[in-house]
Amino acid sequence: MFKLSEEGLNYVKSEMARYEQKQSAIIRALYRAQDENGGWVSPEVIQHLSEVMDIPASHIEEVATFYTMFNKQPVGKYHIQVCCTLSCAMAGGRELTDLMMKEAGCSKLGETSPDGLFTFSKVECLGSCGTAPMLQINREPYIENLDEQKAIQLIRDLRAKAGK
Amino acid sequence: MLQCTINGKELEVKPGTTIIEAMKLIAHEDIAHYCWHPGLPVAGVCRLCVVEIEGNPRLQIACNTQITDGMKITNQSEKVKEAVKWGLDFHLINHPLDCPICDQAGECELQNQYMKFGKYDSEMAEPKVKKHKVVDLGPRVVLDSERCILCSRCVRFTDEVTKTHELGIFNRGDRSEIGTFNGRPLDNKYSLNTVDICPVGALTSKDFRFRQRVWFLKEHQTICTGCSTGCNVKVSYNKEGLFRVKPVYNEQVNGYWMCDEGRDVYKYVNKPARLLDAWMTTAGRGEWLHPLTAAKKVGEFLRAPENKGKSVALVLTGQHTLEEYEALISFFKNEVGTDRIFHWVNNPESMNDFDGLLIRGDKNPNTKGLLETLERHGIKTEWKELIDGLSTGAIRTVVVAGPENQAVYPDFKAKVLELSKAQKLVWLTACKNEELERLQGDVTLIPLKTYIEKDGTFVNYAGLRQTVKKGLTVVANAMSLVEVAEAFKGVDVRPEEAPFKVGVGRVNNEATLQRGSL
Ligand code: SF4
Ligand code: SF4
Ligand code: FES
Ligand code: FES
Repeated sequence: MFKLSEEGLNYVKSEMARYEQKQSAIIRALYRAQDENGGWVSPEVIQHLSEVMDIPASHIEEVATFYTMFNKQPVGKYHIQVCCTLSCAMAGGRELTDLMMKEAGCSKLGETSPDGLFTFSKVECLGSCGTAPMLQINREPYIENLDEQKAIQLIRDLRAKAGK
Repeated sequence: MLQCTINGKELEVKPGTTIIEAMKLIAHEDIAHYCWHPGLPVAGVCRLCVVEIEGNPRLQIACNTQITDGMKITNQSEKVKEAVKWGLDFHLINHPLDCPICDQAGECELQNQYMKFGKYDSEMAEPKVKKHKVVDLGPRVVLDSERCILCSRCVRFTDEVTKTHELGIFNRGDRSEIGTFNGRPLDNKYSLNTVDICPVGALTSKDFRFRQRVWFLKEHQTICTGCSTGCNVKVSYNKEGLFRVKPVYNEQVNGYWMCDEGRDVYKYVNKPARLLDAWMTTAGRGEWLHPLTAAKKVGEFLRAPENKGKSVALVLTGQHTLEEYEALISFFKNEVGTDRIFHWVNNPESMNDFDGLLIRGDKNPNTKGLLETLERHGIKTEWKELIDGLSTGAIRTVVVAGPENQAVYPDFKAKVLELSKAQKLVWLTACKNEELERLQGDVTLIPLKTYIEKDGTFVNYAGLRQTVKKGLTVVANAMSLVEVAEAFKGVDVRPEEAPFKVGVGRVNNEATLQRGSL
């Protein structure tokens, strides 16, 4: 059963107090809970937030399923979100995704590599078209102006960082 | 008050009135709409209710625009018609068009609007988005996501009316779907209202699904007998019997809604549940009789000098009409000479319960009417007197006007047992019952009409008098209590028939079923 940490709970409570309507804090709360739950929003997470925030679970689920930033399936340690909208697609975003997936050992989008490190998603424009192609890992700063070499190196570095 | 003009009609409306309210409820103009419902908050999501307002370059939605003084509104311009046409086209992009197997066909707003505003030529080259079909939402409701136009009425119903919040719209864009969190069931006491307000065939009732095409059904307006609230309802029926119950708007009583339990009430009206003829045991032998013959025989017995008087008791439930109580009580008081008239209370503990919305613990449509009539006749009795009378032998004959809706009488069996101590037991009942059939001794059963088959008045919990009219006849020989009272007096009443008879069009019904034993 998922439960927010003491600190997380306080954070959610303070976010709720910040807005006129506590519904406005759902996105914040989901982000926090997703981080604390290893990168995804499980039904237990929604149930817990529903109790903590006193908002019907169906309303929280509506928000969680509307926004793609919330993962409804477990993801690896590094959730790599490659932009494949126009500018990035033209600059090779889709081909780079295939390349990185092969390097990471992922056979399908959304599937986690056997070592548990990588999950890939293709996402819509992240608003950094000038530096296409680009990607984002988890909620970290963007990695931009990619090319094949940089992309492969990125996967290798991450693997080394994780000690595998 | 504000002045405005709608499709050329001059109108005065209260400040705060929206255009759609003025159009539909005041001016009675036709306006296309899906998401607006007078009993729910405004959502403004279907974009079908567009109107043109003079001086405003863009079309506005009528459901979310309030009228201002001097506003000139039309929804008959070409511009509006064109917009509705395109709006509909968008609604239909991913619609499966499975009308031939859809229960809503014939009363579907997509069909209706398309007949008026159809574009007729599809320009979609892309395949349709596939979604979940036959989703088991809860004990009474089934969802077909592909048919859903995402008007959100059902969601607003569970949010605002029942406040149970089961439903939500999940995912986004053309993948949006109605659903419940983590597969929880849509299980509240009012869930079938979502089926009524769903403008398309996305939500259907498990009870009604695939049982009848709606164009083979007629409607009859009546009162729900499920509890003392007395919701205004209409039943759908044809020659095979009743098929469903839906609410009818009445501000004072039930608004736009009714409960799920009330939707089952029609079941006891249909033939399989009913007692079709009178059953009378005389000298140890039972025989089927015409109800009128049986009632007249009982009447003769009751009026005979050796039987009449205080050894006769009458038992009444809150399930019959005012007129019937009056007729029967007068007969027993004046012609039989007894004031031993008893009120059978089915669930004394929960009698005053109320769920805050509609459902009341008193599962009778006319308890108040019965109490009123008893009081007017100065009758005051306790159930205990009946039981004592039966055991001492002071009461020998008992006549019971049994409940129509036996399902809400948990003590039915116990009461039959108690009352069977009488030397002569006469049970007037609309429905058959195993306990009654099993009875030995001097027993008479006489079939009664149900609330659909007679005229009369019910007094609801608040003292509001509501009338029911006869709409159809299901059991041809059945009598109302008024007719029974007349027959008791020896009058040859001919049970009055309703304009519509169930079963007359199909000669094969009962006869075919019985052929094996003939
Ligand atoms: S299921 Fe029916 S009522 Fe609910 S959103 Fe879809 S179309 Fe509207
Ligand atoms: S609340 Fe009572 S009267 Fe209304 S529909 Fe339900 S059972 Fe019938
Ligand atoms: S298209 Fe990739 S950031 Fe805009
Ligand atoms: S009825 Fe006005 S937008 Fe749906």
